[in-house]
Amino acid sequence: MTKEEKIYEQALKQARRTITFASLLIVTAVIFTVQLTYFPRFFSTPDENISVLDTSVIDPMLMTMDLNPDEIENGIHTPTGLIVDDGVDLVIRTCGACHSLDLVTQNKADRKGWKDIIVWMQETQGLWDLGATEDVILTYLAKNYAPVDEGRRRNLEVLEWYEL
Amino acid sequence: MNNKKNSRRKFISKSALAALTAVVGTKIVYGENFPAELEPIGLDETVDPEKLPGKSEALTILNRKPWNAETPPHLLDPEITPANVMFVRNNGIPPTEFDLENWTLTIEGEAAAQQKTFTLKELYDNFTHYTYDLTLECGGNGRSEFNPPAKGNQWGLGAVACTRWTGVRLKDVLNAVGVKDSAVYIGYYGADTHLSGDMSKTVISRGVPIKKAMEDESLIAWAMNGEAIPKMNGYPLRLVMGGWPASVSGKWLTKIAIRDKEHDGPKMGGQSYRVPKYPVPPGTKVPDEDMKIIESMPVKSIVTYPKTGAIIGKGKSFEVRGHAWAGDLMVKSVMVSIDFGVSWQKCELNPPKNRLAWQRWKTEVTLPGYGYYEIWARAMDENGKVQPMILPGWNPKGYLNNACHRIAVKQA
Repeated sequence: MTKEEKIYEQALKQARRTITFASLLIVTAVIFTVQLTYFPRFFSTPDENISVLDTSVIDPMLMTMDLNPDEIENGIHTPTGLIVDDGVDLVIRTCGACHSLDLVTQNKADRKGWKDIIVWMQETQGLWDLGATEDVILTYLAKNYAPVDEGRRRNLEVLEWYEL
Repeated sequence: MNNKKNSRRKFISKSALAALTAVVGTKIVYGENFPAELEPIGLDETVDPEKLPGKSEALTILNRKPWNAETPPHLLDPEITPANVMFVRNNGIPPTEFDLENWTLTIEGEAAAQQKTFTLKELYDNFTHYTYDLTLECGGNGRSEFNPPAKGNQWGLGAVACTRWTGVRLKDVLNAVGVKDSAVYIGYYGADTHLSGDMSKTVISRGVPIKKAMEDESLIAWAMNGEAIPKMNGYPLRLVMGGWPASVSGKWLTKIAIRDKEHDGPKMGGQSYRVPKYPVPPGTKVPDEDMKIIESMPVKSIVTYPKTGAIIGKGKSFEVRGHAWAGDLMVKSVMVSIDFGVSWQKCELNPPKNRLAWQRWKTEVTLPGYGYYEIWARAMDENGKVQPMILPGWNPKGYLNNACHRIAVKQA
């Protein structure tokens, strides 16, 4: 190959590379524009919408299937103390993300009361939008942790009698 | 969700590691020229997630994250509550790393003449030390009895303690910095972090009117019962202001703002540590503007001996004793009843060791014969106010339950 031929060859290669790069750039730009215009949330991290995405793929009715049967005694999920019922897994994962589940088991409220607690956590404690899971969670809590009317003073309960 | 969980797990293991480092490292960081009282206790504690660090297993755990635990009443029998049974009421995650040489307290705010920062050693060296027995009670102590129930930790009787605090007077430190005439309130800030893991969020920042802050017994304390403050109770530095909801006594103290208005930190406003300005029927939703800040706690007493469930031998008499306290006030008298409030017998009552300390009371009781009895204790404050026998006024967040403590006994 002569010197001129070599230079010509190299120039050709360079030109091809530039064209390929340019077309790639154009394609990327087009995809980017289309995505930005029509699917703006496509690449954003599923931050606030985490649980919304979760419910769309998990059937709430199958939720209890996730619990280890060895950890269930007399209808209680022993590691958390929660009553096993539809939605318990969602409660474990949602409420247990920030605080211990003791805070669930020791409290009692009707549906509205539990809803108020969720709203308070959203307004002041950084709880995310629960989306479709909120209904499952509220139904679970209102059913299993409902208030009992105990009047102005309950009877004393003695765990253990002993000789003084 | 997975992302969130993973980052949370990383966060937890990091803080567990930090806790280990702190346990091993505090001795090194802790300088030779520091007072022995500042040396942390419980260095060999295990980092067991199920166990409350530095505390007795006899405590009733209400919440593991954040840690909240109360003392069974019979363990409150000693004159001074032992450190390992003192209740824990945390709103966030306590700090795990303690560099005592560099731990500082900054005084600032609109009504501070200047901004000034003190190291622990400067506080220790430059101000007069004082020791007081001070009663701290959680504003929500007794919440579990309210009906309809109030949300939050369901405290029984044991979110109260009287321990021996040593430190410097808050007023001495504030005066050294300079308090402007415009001062209205103080607000504290601590080194605990928010449960959500958001480091920019303040967990809790409450305070008291300047008048309470300037009292002799309002302390910036570094020691409790002659030792370092337990980690869960605010090590290495905290505010102690007896007689008011314990949430005004900021733990892991790093900053005090002297405010020219009512302090507005997290848990000062809204419904937190507030009760309705007027009595309401149980279950009422009360608007924020109709709520007022709780100040002095109401008169209250507990039976610490015997433990509930005692069976008394035929014809035997026995001592009944406990403590009584009344917020900013003194307790004037304590009575007990063995017949469900029909008749009352007066108890022997000791004066407090100092202002804002609880008072020991005791009496000898003889049951009239075979059967089931309840012993009810009822204290009266110096203004003649007594504890109610049934629940006091219902309030949305379940504060200030000072109903008589009752224990069950039987005579064989």
